[in-house]
Amino acid sequence: MTRFHAAHSLTEALALLHEETDTRPMAGGTDILVRMRRSPPAVPLTLIGIEGVPELQGIREEPSWLSIGAATPFAAIAASPLIAAHAPLLQDAARAVGAPAIRNMATLGGNLCTASPAGDSLPPLYVLDAEVELASKAGRRRMAVSDFILGPGETQLEPGEILCRVLVPHAPPIARCQFEKVGRRRSLAIAVASFAGLLRVDGAGRIAGARFAFGSVGPAAVTVPEAEALLRGQLAVQPDPAAVERAVLAVCATVRPIDDLRASASYRRALAGNLLRRFLSPPSSPGLNAATGHASHG
Amino acid sequence: MADAVSALAVGWPETRADARAKAEGREPYAADLYPEGVLWAGAVRPGARLGIAHGRIQRIGTAAAEALPGVLKVLTAKDVPGTNRQGIVHKDMPVLADGKIRYVGDPVALVIATSREELEEAIRLVEVDIEPLPAVYDPDTALADGAPKVHEERAGNILAAAGIRVGGGADALAQCDAVVEGVFETPVQAHGFLETENGVACREADGSLTITASTQAPFRDRLEIGHALGVPFEHIRVIAPCLGGGFGGKDGATVQCLLALAALNTGGRPVKMQWSREENLLAGYRRHACRIEYRLGAMRDGRLHAVHCRLVYDTGAYAHLGGEVMALGMEHAGGPYRIPHVRIEGKCVYTNNPVAGAMRAFGVAQATFAFESMMDVLAAKLGADPLELRRQNALRPGDTNCAGVVLENSVGIGGCLELIAGHPHWTGRAAWKAAAPPGKRRGVGLASVFNAAGYGANVRDAAIAKVELTADGRILVYNAVADMGQGNASAFVQMAGHILAQDASRVEVRQPDTAAAYPSGSSSASRTTFTFGNALIAACTQLKARLINRAGLLLFVDDDTALELVPGKVVHAPSRRETALAQLASFMRPEERCCLGEFVAPLCRDTAGAGNGFFVGFPHVIFSYGAHLARVEADLATGAITAVDYVAATDGGRVINPVMFEQQVHGGVAQGLGYALMEDLATRQGQVLATDFASYPMPGALDLPDIVSLACESEERTGPFGMKGIGEVAMNGPLPAVANALADACGVRLWRAPLTPERVWQALDQAAGQARESAA
Ligand SMILES: Cc1cc2nc3c(=O)[nH]c(=O)nc-3n(C[C@H](O)[C@H](O)[C@H](O)COP(=O)(O)OP(=O)(O)OC[C@H]3O[C@@H](n4cnc5c(N)ncnc54)[C@H](O)[C@@H]3O)c2cc1C
Repeated sequence: MTRFHAAHSLTEALALLHEETDTRPMAGGTDILVRMRRSPPAVPLTLIGIEGVPELQGIREEPSWLSIGAATPFAAIAASPLIAAHAPLLQDAARAVGAPAIRNMATLGGNLCTASPAGDSLPPLYVLDAEVELASKAGRRRMAVSDFILGPGETQLEPGEILCRVLVPHAPPIARCQFEKVGRRRSLAIAVASFAGLLRVDGAGRIAGARFAFGSVGPAAVTVPEAEALLRGQLAVQPDPAAVERAVLAVCATVRPIDDLRASASYRRALAGNLLRRFLSPPSSPGLNAATGHASHG
Repeated sequence: MADAVSALAVGWPETRADARAKAEGREPYAADLYPEGVLWAGAVRPGARLGIAHGRIQRIGTAAAEALPGVLKVLTAKDVPGTNRQGIVHKDMPVLADGKIRYVGDPVALVIATSREELEEAIRLVEVDIEPLPAVYDPDTALADGAPKVHEERAGNILAAAGIRVGGGADALAQCDAVVEGVFETPVQAHGFLETENGVACREADGSLTITASTQAPFRDRLEIGHALGVPFEHIRVIAPCLGGGFGGKDGATVQCLLALAALNTGGRPVKMQWSREENLLAGYRRHACRIEYRLGAMRDGRLHAVHCRLVYDTGAYAHLGGEVMALGMEHAGGPYRIPHVRIEGKCVYTNNPVAGAMRAFGVAQATFAFESMMDVLAAKLGADPLELRRQNALRPGDTNCAGVVLENSVGIGGCLELIAGHPHWTGRAAWKAAAPPGKRRGVGLASVFNAAGYGANVRDAAIAKVELTADGRILVYNAVADMGQGNASAFVQMAGHILAQDASRVEVRQPDTAAAYPSGSSSASRTTFTFGNALIAACTQLKARLINRAGLLLFVDDDTALELVPGKVVHAPSRRETALAQLASFMRPEERCCLGEFVAPLCRDTAGAGNGFFVGFPHVIFSYGAHLARVEADLATGAITAVDYVAATDGGRVINPVMFEQQVHGGVAQGLGYALMEDLATRQGQVLATDFASYPMPGALDLPDIVSLACESEERTGPFGMKGIGEVAMNGPLPAVANALADACGVRLWRAPLTPERVWQALDQAAGQARESAA
């Protein structure tokens, strides 16, 4: 029989994780419970409920970053004015997760610890250079989200460790950003491919920094520094089509999608390129918002 | 004041009789039953776990499972007392597999345990050794010479093969000015009902069996269980509460025989079986995959002249209603059009895939994709307007349809097309398309649809209704055809209230129970409200006459016309006297308070020899019709199609309840859009790839457009209050309408459904490649 303990503080949660063997933190339970039903664990697990731990909740603006408690549900991220102001990309991604009932339960920390290549929060957090803060009885450590995620289902999380916060560093203003998710339907869908992109511009309206990350086309979110570099110096509102095509080619050459029930690798590869091309097309075109699919349906 | 309440009236949007109980969670479904001391039964289906779809059973090791505390019994084929064969028309499906498994979901053992957890553990512990046999996973392979046989006695793996020939048949294609052709493929579709297959069974003290199940056919279930288990059917009582969806997937044995078998082995303790979603997708029935080769020819002026098509349905490992599904698809394969020369050939083939069976728009949804796509291809070839071409050829009363049936009943396809022709989505299509946002293309597509009602020839399609004046003066309808959510029971309440002039609070319905109601066939085939409704009218008319007569006796009135039934009483207006129904009831003996009505549906026996090779279910005489319009937007970057707007004009005869009518159309269109855009219960080597609703997507609210339902009311003289069944017809339109809209939008046509973003993208990519080549 699975056992469950609800923790009321971080100290208690860390202690409970240590006290017993075969323990796992559980936040919203929308991944772990599904997984346990699909393949029952060989030994009964003890689940440590962390969704009621105050230290793991809430969204706060701090001097160097926006701090998001790991157990904050996506519904709160989707509704937060602070997130809207500092990390609209993450907000669009939060609105694309599951459906309302799932967003009420599913947490940002759970999404990262599950480390699914399709996790909707990953591409935005990559391009925002977000970090995670981990706590254990031994203390705390911090690292980039892109270092934390190792591969499908694999992270740097050690046994007994809890992901406490996600930190989105304050950074120069973003001229334009977009999150787009392509799934097999508009809600409750695992991404066939997803895209997060942002542009920073200089005083002349030229791209000073471009960042892109793609979901569901590799073992983790995929970034393509080469494509980002190709766009530097281009006019943000109207980049040179040849430069765009070179960036698209770089993306198609870099992503490592797989074939599965939802889509083929070749489609995913083309899709990644198309999503970038669409992002770089003139932002005034009315198609863009509609094209964000359910990110705009939130 | 009692007089202020108004009687239920046919034609009005009366509140569904089940609305409150369902909204409040009080309506009891079979799945809600947990009798005191209930045991759990579950099937061992080793094919999926072993990765074997066809194999000889070498050994079933039950000892480890039986040793588990909480396990009562592990039963195998040798414990099945009867023929161990179930099936609606062909009894080819074992209750527990004996000798071999023919698909991944075949059950080889039945475990009975005291809790669900122990049951699951025990199922895992049953050891099954199966020696794989060569298998057939698609109809072509199954039909090839020397192919492995799914059933030893079935040469060539053919369940059914039939043909239709009208006029000069396929030869007449040579006389046509324009001939178009195409090969179409349609996917397997899951019913996706919320309440999975389940029930509870108990052996009573007198040895009889009582089974409450989520079933569409309680009366037929008795016969199937009796045959399979060797129990006289009169010793079996089946109760069918409201279903949490059926769509055909609960027509035929799912849990029934397994549960009855379990109940024979529990010493009188009740036993429950509830399939998980995984089990439902593995072992539940599903829509047949189909391949259709189609050729359609017309004269220069647009007159359809000849059609030739071949349909091959993959029925999977067992017959279920495969032959009948094929027959109905064939009967519709020419579309709702006048075509003088017809050749339609059909085959229904056994494979080692999961069992295909009945599903809403039974064989017809497949055929409609083909003929309605072909109509647009033909229109393009002739330079004709797709709506005009359909109007010009639409069936009219008195015409002969593609199955050789002379149409003597209502035919509303013409009226449906007129409603579409006048709709702003059609008349304003050019402007709407031109306003497509960058990166998107818009298109408008049409589909004409029709769907037969009733079982068809050679099957008795009858119903027996019972209505009672209860001792406290209310009206009780004994429904005998299960309500799967489509609202037939509410329609019966409305009809009874209408005839007997009673309001909603005075009419009740009892859901089917073979011990209380009378054999009335299944809830299926768009026949449910039609057939039982007609029987109910007869019963209510008789009861009304009886109540007037008894009131006349009580009130000393000999003029029936001066007596009027009103809610709760009979009044004699001239003398201002009245008698309450409760009072009338107290003057009547129990048997006097009940009336039975019977009805046998109209049949066609003469098609001038058009059909050959049909067993049962061909042909039909009553059809519902519809014309559909879809407005879609295709995303050129992703290939995703969004259905933006949808209009469905439906001829279902007279409308009994406009809201329930609309609900059926909305539901059919929604399920049809799932079929068009995303649903595909695919298999590889007989293994089902989707295991749950995460891997088998169905449309959600955000995927569905606003659906406008327009009624084109014809008068069906054989129907209750002039109605025809519309449970299925709307399901047929979305796939071809969306495919036609996509072609209109982007100039690419998809021949294989569902029209997933990836397939659209591939087609766009290919078209772009060809354009580049021809430019070079
Ligand atoms: C119907 C459905 C739809 C879904 N749709 C989407 C979707 O659209 N997009 C998407 O990205 N995901 C989706 N998911 C997956 C899931 O909802 C998300 O990944 C979610 O963010 C998981 O969060 P949770 O709080 O529920 O995690 P849990 O299930 O509680 O935990 C997941 C894993 O992370 C660990 N964990 C959780 N929190 C912590 C922590 N703070 N510290 C250390 N370890 C921790 C747990 O031990 C467990 O291993 C869906 C799931 C379902 C069931």
